Amino acid sequence: MSTLRVDWTRCDGHGLCARLLPERIALDEWGFPIIAAGELDDGLVRAARRAAQACPALALRVDKS
Amino acid sequence: MTMTDVPRIATDHDRLPPVLAFGAPRILAGAAQDRRVDLAAHRTLHGALVPRSRGWLSSSLAQVRMKGRGGAAFPVSIKLDAMPNARSASVLVNGSESEPASWKDRVIMRQCPHLILDGALTIAQALRTKRITIAVHDAASARSLEQACRERSDASSVTISITGNAFVGGEIRAVINGLNGGRALPGGRRVLPTVDGIDHKATFASNVETFAQIGLLALLGATEYARVGSTNEPGTTLVTMVGDVPFPGVIEVPIGIPIASLLQSPPGDRRAVLIGGYHGTWVDHIDHLVVERDALRIAGAPLNAGVIARISADHCALVEVARVTSLLASESAGQCGPCFFGLPAIARGVQSMVEGAGSEPMSRMVRHLDTVSGRGACAHPDGSVQFVRSAMLTLDAELRQHTEHGTCGRIDGHVLPVVAAA
Ligand code: SF4
Ligand code: SF4
Repeated sequence: MSTLRVDWTRCDGHGLCARLLPERIALDEWGFPIIAAGELDDGLVRAARRAAQACPALALRVDKS
Repeated sequence: MTMTDVPRIATDHDRLPPVLAFGAPRILAGAAQDRRVDLAAHRTLHGALVPRSRGWLSSSLAQVRMKGRGGAAFPVSIKLDAMPNARSASVLVNGSESEPASWKDRVIMRQCPHLILDGALTIAQALRTKRITIAVHDAASARSLEQACRERSDASSVTISITGNAFVGGEIRAVINGLNGGRALPGGRRVLPTVDGIDHKATFASNVETFAQIGLLALLGATEYARVGSTNEPGTTLVTMVGDVPFPGVIEVPIGIPIASLLQSPPGDRRAVLIGGYHGTWVDHIDHLVVERDALRIAGAPLNAGVIARISADHCALVEVARVTSLLASESAGQCGPCFFGLPAIARGVQSMVEGAGSEPMSRMVRHLDTVSGRGACAHPDGSVQFVRSAMLTLDAELRQHTEHGTCGRIDGHVLPVVAAA
């Protein structure tokens, strides 16, 4: 089981993650990610990892829970 | 005792509020607004401090179900059990009381410093460490603690450290980051001080009142300690009462006392009361509420750091809410986007409610409250959301008057402080 988490002290609101994983990430009106609640579906884990790797601020991570 | 080399930022032109007790005072025994308990008086009141083993301490803390008094109400025995026995471990007393309305920690530091030292030394001895740090942000409390360390012979290893006094800077992880030479802000990952604390070593960290209670427990023993209070949470606790209340000031109360009797409220009184300070909850039914951490949390109005406030019927509560909300917004440490942008937007929303802006800004604000919730590195955004959301529900009649007439006709009493007195 995996969950997406944001380190809010790092996130700069680039919004890249929302483009790479629109299934799970929306942006608020200031450009910061809103992560859908709950666990990631297995089918999305790879895409989530890619989004986490792409985050320029190293703010997004996929946690095993 | 050593002083760390940090400039003092606080001034001390202030005076303590009145100091009272419901029933017999224990933490505040011998203390008054203008009376400090020195070592001789302390030993006369409480007797000598006997060393307590780690096993005794752990089981006694569990027996009296002691909860942390800083706000999180974490069971103290579990925190102790999580600590290794190690010389490198630290004990951290957090005295950076950062909530502007709260005074209880500064009252203990200035008037009853020896109970804090008794508690910190008891924990340190049980953990077999000598490393004790007390983090304080106001000069008067630091002076009282320094003097207390000089008065006794067993406190030579205590370090008193002056820290910044921002609201979020008093959060325990922020205090630790500051002591470790970083910026005094909470980190992005939630690490426990018992794992990664001072010098990145295991640290038993708690707030000033918790250490005073531990000192009292070591002096009294568990049976005597539990002679007052409720079954679920024995002992006393300190609250700061603010505004239109019968006894403004810092009051020691037996846990379990009805909030209505502290406020001398007749049954059915519907005046709005703020419980738990600026991260707290506005309520207008208090008949069923008692001062007990678990019970208040279950009732949806956690005690947090113990501030209870009431605004008089002649004063506008909404304008107080707006002012406190701007304070909360300005105290966002600016690390986390949703908190940094969201709280000012919420504060502007509350201000426009005061000015009678109507339903459009209201629904925008409700949306912002949802947006900010749960999205930050510390409890500040969630606490702020709780404060505003509960105000909007509880003060709905006043809110309607503001919407209809642009005012409720009551005056601004400037009751809730928005600058931290030193
Ligand atoms: S890509 Fe990274 S920095 Fe950008 S919004 Fe997403 S989490 Fe934040
Ligand atoms: S949530 Fe707000 S107050 Fe807390 S660390 Fe982030 S920006 Fe600072």
